Amino acid sequence: MSGSSRSRRPDRRPREAPLFGGVLIANRGEIALRVARTCRELGLRVIAVHSTEDRHSAVARYADEAVQVGPAPARRSYLNIPALIEAASRTGAEAIHPGYGFLSEDPDFAEICEASGLTFIGPPAAVTRLLGDKIAARAVLADEGMPVLPGSREPVPAEEAARIAGTIGYPVIVKAAAGGGGRGMHVAADPAGFADAYRKAQAAALTLFGDGRVYVERYLESPRHVEVQVLADAHGNVVSLGERDCTVQRRHQKLVEETPVPALPPELTRRIAEAAVLGARSVGYVGAGTFEFLVDTDRSFYFLEVNCRVQVEHPVTEMVTGIDIVREQLHIAAGRRLSMRQSDVMPRGVAIECRINAEDPERGFAPTPGPLTGFAAPGGPFVRVDTHCFPGYRIPAAYDSLLAKLVVWAPDRPQALARMRRALAEFRVEGPGVRTTLPFLEEVLDHPLFLSAEHGTGLVGDMLSSGP
Amino acid sequence: MTGGDTTPVSEDRPVFAGESGVPVADVLEAVRRAVADLLTVSARPPDSLRVRVGDIAVEIEWPATTTATATSTATATVPAPTPGGDIEAGDDGRSYLCAPGVGVFYRASEPGAAAFVAEGDVVVPGQQVAILEVMKLMVPIEADQHGRITEVLRENGTAVEYGERLFALAPA
Repeated sequence: MSGSSRSRRPDRRPREAPLFGGVLIANRGEIALRVARTCRELGLRVIAVHSTEDRHSAVARYADEAVQVGPAPARRSYLNIPALIEAASRTGAEAIHPGYGFLSEDPDFAEICEASGLTFIGPPAAVTRLLGDKIAARAVLADEGMPVLPGSREPVPAEEAARIAGTIGYPVIVKAAAGGGGRGMHVAADPAGFADAYRKAQAAALTLFGDGRVYVERYLESPRHVEVQVLADAHGNVVSLGERDCTVQRRHQKLVEETPVPALPPELTRRIAEAAVLGARSVGYVGAGTFEFLVDTDRSFYFLEVNCRVQVEHPVTEMVTGIDIVREQLHIAAGRRLSMRQSDVMPRGVAIECRINAEDPERGFAPTPGPLTGFAAPGGPFVRVDTHCFPGYRIPAAYDSLLAKLVVWAPDRPQALARMRRALAEFRVEGPGVRTTLPFLEEVLDHPLFLSAEHGTGLVGDMLSSGP
Repeated sequence: MTGGDTTPVSEDRPVFAGESGVPVADVLEAVRRAVADLLTVSARPPDSLRVRVGDIAVEIEWPATTTATATSTATATVPAPTPGGDIEAGDDGRSYLCAPGVGVFYRASEPGAAAFVAEGDVVVPGQQVAILEVMKLMVPIEADQHGRITEVLRENGTAVEYGERLFALAPA
């Protein structure tokens, strides 16, 4: 920047002002690095935070600045709001990207950021608060015409619940009003089993969540899990970036995700996407978000919940659309308009993601922390690996077990599956005591029901119970 | 803190009453989660883990620290909230009182006032030695070890991060 004699070359277009003076990434692992990379591409200063455990992490080294915010336990570091706000203020960060997990869907954190003069990169706190209350969200969206599973719209006492169960039809599931994560839910296959399921769910709700209120809903045995990626700006523009199939799950933890949704009529997935866009509009959604649905074997679909954050599996959508979702998040947070209209979103080909976790499939997927003596990710055409691991990295016991996301693209599903098999076979993860989900993922990819896309969310459970 | 410390599970998580009518699978799930949570917040692998199911209790025992100082920055117990600086043993035989959080380090209660402590002072556990300003809140930093301050390592008014060494201590 030389003061008086600035050259005015006609071929140099004026630089856009950066979106933010600096972005603090309030997360760790692969997602922190992934967000940091887009920030770098946008010319934004990257500020990482880390616990003592993560002081030598990839993102801490990658960032322009890194602040140690606390010891290993997340509640004293990555969930430590005062430490994060202080870290932002001492580094001059203007925005905070929360990644996924940790504080990403905490409306209080979003409010504290705004009150501290920081832009929270996510939906407005009021929206996250509404959608975080699963019963309230379901009720509000049902009023807007969103299809929801038939059931009670609020917590109900036993006799009324039994009556409702009779009208919606068995099997039904009784869930804790304060619950989540698939815990404390009980299924009644028929009216004879209802009283027992209700009593168990109520007791579990009280034990697990300190709140005995329960509600009842129709139970789908082995549905498909389909979700829609939406982007919404603060000017009322909402687009769908298409659907993802996340049916391969173990205890509500996704293992394999793909787009587009295989073996469902495009007309059906289009209607699901439209429902998501309508839902986003009706709650005043702003930012990147995911609307989750269950699709029954009779192809009726039901809204499940909204994830108010960037999701683990967002890369499959990026691979087929060419749209950087984190870049859009940053633009939206800066008050810009979406950089595309719905007609500009033209997904092409098939993308599949496998989550490589440090878990031992032979010991009930128990986490296997420890040092990585060898780590070599696959490469080659149309392969993307999002990871924070490197040889010499030590997998901490204090955090989740995700090591890497392996994503491939191909023009069609058979080619994508072949490419994924090839890439999985190339992946090398070694360390004393370290086991990974790699061999299990190879089994999933060869499973006849997965190959023909006739699988439901029960696939992994069935594979494990009928094991060798 | 000589024979290892035992952390009761009931501190700040739900108490899992052994009510009749609670399905065993859910109780076990709750216990499993509590154990997993405890292992997550513990910085070291435990020595022993005891789970009792009538009137459910979970006890985890960690081995006693072998270093000369009472605690290390990798806290052994379920951590105490700030205030309370963390003591760290240095390679040089000295021990250090470290910042208990991210914030601005102040040596005195207000501008112009005398510093809480200076080089050569002997401090006792619980004695305030400085202030950490965190989100406009003034949080006292207290010594949690007996010792003589041999060096003040940070200037008054400096921004510090978690675990940054503030004072060097020698046995008094």
